[in-house]
Amino acid sequence: MSVPRARLLQLMEARCKLFETTFNPEGIRAGNKILRQRLKGPALAGYYPRRLWTMQEFQAEFRDLHLMVDDEKELDRFEHVSLLKARGKGAPKKKNSGPDFKKGKK
Amino acid sequence: MSMFRAKKFDLGCFTNIKIIRDHSKRKAFEAAEPERQALRYIIRNTTLPMRTRAMAQLQLTQMHCYTRPTQIRNRCIMGGKGRGVLRAFKISRYNFRMEALAGNLPGVKKASW
Repeated sequence: MSVPRARLLQLMEARCKLFETTFNPEGIRAGNKILRQRLKGPALAGYYPRRLWTMQEFQAEFRDLHLMVDDEKELDRFEHVSLLKARGKGAPKKKNSGPDFKKGKK
Repeated sequence: MSMFRAKKFDLGCFTNIKIIRDHSKRKAFEAAEPERQALRYIIRNTTLPMRTRAMAQLQLTQMHCYTRPTQIRNRCIMGGKGRGVLRAFKISRYNFRMEALAGNLPGVKKASW
């Protein structure tokens, strides 16, 4: 027994309504497959681990409790710099600071 | 492109300029993705007038290259390498070997039979 096409279309339409899909019996390219795609931006943007806190923020958290947190890396750096300066190998003075610098003059 | 770069440094892994660049591209793509998808929908929709579709095509091609998903490349988060990066661990094959042998990757062990 053959089923008329109109009947089949009715079935299709009911099915589309039920499952909330687009009724498109002619198969026209309406670009719906783009709308169906999920956004992948958030997954891609989360690839690299983000910085959660900096040492300054961490120290600030404990300041209210009157606790001192040593930033060991920074202390090491200060020590290194002071050693360099003691040997006279420190960074030179900035050009645009110091006593003999006057603003607006070249 | 520095205008896409975060105003405040926001990476917690190994950092070099290539990683910063890739990260900026990812964020630019994330921001522009709805617009891109809308334009792609207009382009693919054959029921719309040809002129609209052509204009959408132009608009999509004229968007900044940083908003393009093909610009994104997975890089090693431990050394910044762009090749031989294992997707599941986000690290390059050499770093993977070193970390696995050191026992830093849960569930990974050297095969032996």
